[in-house]
Amino acid sequence: MEVGQTLEPLQKDGITHTQLVRYAGASGDFNPIHTVVPFAEGAGLGGVIAHGMLVMGFVGQAIGQWFEVKDLKKFTTRFKAMTRPGEKISVQGRIVNENEACWICEAEAVNEDGEVKVKAFFEVKK
Amino acid sequence: MKLKEVIFLSTGLKEKVGLKLESYTFRVEKGKIRELAQAIGDLKEEYLNGEAVPPTFPTVIDFWGGGASSSDLLNLNMKKVLHGEQEYEYFREIVPDEEITVHGVIEKAYTKAAMNFFVIRKDYMDKQGETILISRSTIIERH
Repeated sequence: MEVGQTLEPLQKDGITHTQLVRYAGASGDFNPIHTVVPFAEGAGLGGVIAHGMLVMGFVGQAIGQWFEVKDLKKFTTRFKAMTRPGEKISVQGRIVNENEACWICEAEAVNEDGEVKVKAFFEVKK
Repeated sequence: MKLKEVIFLSTGLKEKVGLKLESYTFRVEKGKIRELAQAIGDLKEEYLNGEAVPPTFPTVIDFWGGGASSSDLLNLNMKKVLHGEQEYEYFREIVPDEEITVHGVIEKAYTKAAMNFFVIRKDYMDKQGETILISRSTIIERH
């Protein structure tokens, strides 16, 4: 591990409506903008959108692929764009800095067109 | 802008700062750990058998913990609400089967670019009163 190192991207399968229903049940976030198409259309969203926390979960999965999750000290995400069923998300990341105790990293969850859905920063104990 | 909105912006938002969420307690069930991991598609063995938790597990504690929801406290229109940012600061690992009590408070409330922003801080404590992690969620309400 060293500063400047690129981490191996994680490629996820396309998000499905079923996955959003499943994530709603697992997380307990039943806001219908994620699962009920007519409601989401009525909210002006043009259809359901994925839970931001699901996409953060993808980034968390990538972190677990790159490091030991028990060493994760800080994990911050900014939700930049809405994610919809059918979109295929990949997570890319890199080590951008370090201090005595931690690697300081950034990551993005992007779709196939490279649109950034989530921008993440995290710190992992060395 | 309607008069009602002007009044809300000038007085309503700032008054929300310092409001406390009703505290709630959740036991970290192994089945819920597995369910979350499967929904994400993050199929690490230690998640599936409930020995370790994915980094975003605290969201399960929030929604299933049975506490009063922040959307009620802030009187939010759920059709207009988006999750802007999420931050976790971890002090130790969550241990399966332990009981975690969450204390939440509205830390910030402000208006920017015709949207209301609320930052909700939550402290996750173990039975000994030690902090396991701190979460900050930025909730955006479109006008």
